[in-house]
Amino acid sequence: MILQTWLLPIALLVTATIIAMPLSRYLAWVMNGKYRPLPVAGWLEKCLDSGPQNWKQYTGSLLVFNVVLFVFGYLVLSVQPWMPLNPDGKGMLFPSTIFHSVISFMTNTNLQHYAGDVNLSNFSQIFFCIYNMFLSASVGFCALVAMIRAFRGEASLGNYFVDMWRVVIYMFIPAALIFGTIFLSQGSPMTFESSYQVSTLEPAAMGTTDKGEVKKQTIVVGPVAALESIKMLGTNGGGFFGMNSAHPFENPTGLSNFFVTLAMMIFPFALVFMYGRMLGRPRHAWVIFSVMLLLMAGTVVWAICFDTLQPNPALTAHPIAQTYEIPNAKAPGGKQEVTIPAVASLPVDQHLGNLEGKEMRFGTSAGATFNALTTDVTCGAVNAEMDSLNPLAALSPMVGMWLNCIFGGKGVGMINMLLYVIIGIFIAGQMVGRTPEYLGRKIGAREVKLAVIALLVHPMMVLMPTGLFAALDWGLKAVSNPGAHGFTQMLFQFSSASANNGAAFDGLGVTYGFANNLAPSPEAIPWDIATGLIMIFSRYLPIIAPIAMAAFLGAKKASPIGLGTLRDDTPTFGFLVLGTVLIIGALLFLPVAVLGPMAEHFGPIPFGG
Amino acid sequence: MLRYFSKSILLLLFSVIICCIIYPLVLWAIGKTVFPFQADGSLLKGPDGTVVGSKLIAQPFTKDEYFQPRPSSPSYDASASASSSLAPSNYTLRDRVARVLGPIVKYRGGEKAGQLVAPDVEQWFSKDVYGGEPHIVAQWAGQHNSLAQAWVGADPKNGAYVDDWAKNNPALVDQWIKDNPTTPKPKTADLAVVFFTDFSNKNPGRFPSAVTKTDADGKEVTAIEPVKEGSDIQSIFFEMWRHEHPEADLQDVPGDLVTASASGLDPHITMQNALFQLDRVAAKWAANLHRNPDTVRKEIEQMLQQNASAPFNGLAGEPFVNVLEINLELCKRYGNPS
Repeated sequence: MILQTWLLPIALLVTATIIAMPLSRYLAWVMNGKYRPLPVAGWLEKCLDSGPQNWKQYTGSLLVFNVVLFVFGYLVLSVQPWMPLNPDGKGMLFPSTIFHSVISFMTNTNLQHYAGDVNLSNFSQIFFCIYNMFLSASVGFCALVAMIRAFRGEASLGNYFVDMWRVVIYMFIPAALIFGTIFLSQGSPMTFESSYQVSTLEPAAMGTTDKGEVKKQTIVVGPVAALESIKMLGTNGGGFFGMNSAHPFENPTGLSNFFVTLAMMIFPFALVFMYGRMLGRPRHAWVIFSVMLLLMAGTVVWAICFDTLQPNPALTAHPIAQTYEIPNAKAPGGKQEVTIPAVASLPVDQHLGNLEGKEMRFGTSAGATFNALTTDVTCGAVNAEMDSLNPLAALSPMVGMWLNCIFGGKGVGMINMLLYVIIGIFIAGQMVGRTPEYLGRKIGAREVKLAVIALLVHPMMVLMPTGLFAALDWGLKAVSNPGAHGFTQMLFQFSSASANNGAAFDGLGVTYGFANNLAPSPEAIPWDIATGLIMIFSRYLPIIAPIAMAAFLGAKKASPIGLGTLRDDTPTFGFLVLGTVLIIGALLFLPVAVLGPMAEHFGPIPFGG
Repeated sequence: MLRYFSKSILLLLFSVIICCIIYPLVLWAIGKTVFPFQADGSLLKGPDGTVVGSKLIAQPFTKDEYFQPRPSSPSYDASASASSSLAPSNYTLRDRVARVLGPIVKYRGGEKAGQLVAPDVEQWFSKDVYGGEPHIVAQWAGQHNSLAQAWVGADPKNGAYVDDWAKNNPALVDQWIKDNPTTPKPKTADLAVVFFTDFSNKNPGRFPSAVTKTDADGKEVTAIEPVKEGSDIQSIFFEMWRHEHPEADLQDVPGDLVTASASGLDPHITMQNALFQLDRVAAKWAANLHRNPDTVRKEIEQMLQQNASAPFNGLAGEPFVNVLEINLELCKRYGNPS
């Protein structure tokens, strides 16, 4: 049991670290332009090259291309009913859902207010989902590389279009082909058919239609393997099917689950080493890597301890009656006592932990492990239902989104961590009374301001809308679970949007569906628009401000290392960064953590009824 | 900016060709040539050669001759995968599990060891006392309004039964409207709690359930009637019975038998779950084939062992079996179930 629980997460962390080291060498080699381009690709690359760019030109190009991505995505989804590869005649999504989905995929979030198997044709899956998965992942990657070049003090940050091309052609396409083939071998479909109708072995068990005929089972298939591999490698996370990597076609076996999980880890891991390699500071990168790995291991252990090693409290005994005082204006003294009687256990063997919302084929701790990792690396795919996790276990994925720097998504997580590093150095500098320096360059007021702006966007975009929606019907009518868990559902959705993550508590009613849907979720439109806007702000501000900061910092003269220099390649520095991340993170998010998952854990279970 | 715009369009064009046309076609070609079975969706054929489903997608089984898959939130609809999304603190989860347990749970110890709990639940129900107060059904509806309302919507016959009741009891409906001035025209479900309270008063120890009878013309007719036993009572009221009998020593049921999977389409059950169902399956086949139950049981157990696999050969998880494969094998070996 101990082995069965812990082998998988340990194997994943070790394998990803081992793969990341040679991979980072390759990434640095490609991004430094040392490769010899393939014949046709080299010509295409020349067509794209618009010459060396400074930071304003680079971010300008980034923004222009994202506008083009937005228009293209909106177009593809809008014309779905008239496009090929749509034999089931899937209609058009509701406009606010298209708006939301386009932003969601363009910003590498992949928060889905639709279900892929229900709402999208294979044409949309390929030209919208797969396309955005390749390109949006590359955007964050390029931003990090631009920042590195700025730190190196180079006048030119490279060329945005060439960088995008390099990332797509020399990294994602080969990796996606390798992983796609693995998933295919395990059982992910790869076909341009869209569904089969089959009579099941016991046909009557499917039930009957309104006309009294025996129902057939409709099995949706499609180019699943192609989507699955780039979905995980690009830490995108938007599933082909509604239930994402929990669906047997997206993740058919225990072995495929290992590779699905590994796929989302290798690039975020490698980027940290690439950072050290491109800057010529591998020891500094190792310190940052260790901090991230420690935090990641913490979230995984937490999730496993409270989900795999604990039973689902819905079915266990709560033998002591609890009495609560709640405010009630009508009661004498303004307070009313509510007593929750003792609860008897149900006779269920829960030695495998909480099995509600878990699949059997992945392994004992696979669900908890995956759901912790998926938010650490801002992937957002799930292989177990987040909503049904034990209350405290659900804290783990939320911490991953709140800190948003435990490896994080393609480039962006590393950028966030660098912001924490800058702020950590700044705080340390204040404490010892020295001018703070990073990479030998003095950190001035302008750099710290930009870093703080970039860092504060995230908590503002999580906490303010959660408060707003919790106070309005927008939130209250959308939640599907009572009490504190309902609050957690809202909090999780906004955390996921702002962290550009894309994981969700699926019970939240945010789906409008097709434009002609007569019974959409009542509050789907405000959710579409609010999370859509949040994803934009939380994506582009934390990309642009750090590049600007790096450019300003890189332009300064590097001073030699002296006795009083704060060394950035020591364990002490690691603890400084770790402390900064934990203290800032806890200060920002502890109150909502108490209101949501902790209140659910300590409160009566079952709650209401 | 115009220059960047034209470069963006070029990048879009090149990358669409590579990511959306060449890349999927290469993988498709690999699938067609190297992994044709997987690429098409792992479809399995039945004894008569027609496709009966996918090896990877759960499908429902209700007959006792078959092993049954885990509960499914989308009712095994493989075009709309979904989990239950029920939080541990949501009473609906506890209720759903209790309803599965009621008819199958057995005593573990005591003088009734090995016997079903269900008859005791029915006997307790017919006494119609819960927590020292009369009328179990009224208390159930009062404590769990949403479950009472869900019952009304669960079947058109239930709704019609409540509508009939509302027509015959205008005074109670008027009283409800007076108590709830914001809803002048209550829907059927709104009246669920009043209905059950009244029903419980008039039919102590009874619950409205569907009963199928053969009428004078020989046709089968299903209607709602007050009953004092049956699967509705065993399942719906097991939770309340358990509440009053927390000390009863019951056999644990495998966790995956009562919990819904994440996709709703999990094709596997644990070996533990399969062995739990083995008695029922073997007994039924033995009766169908007029064979010795022990030999049949051994044969089927061997089939289970052959089908079983485990994540990383058991290093990362416990053994499980594929429900469709094992049921197909039962069919091939023993013929179609009666």
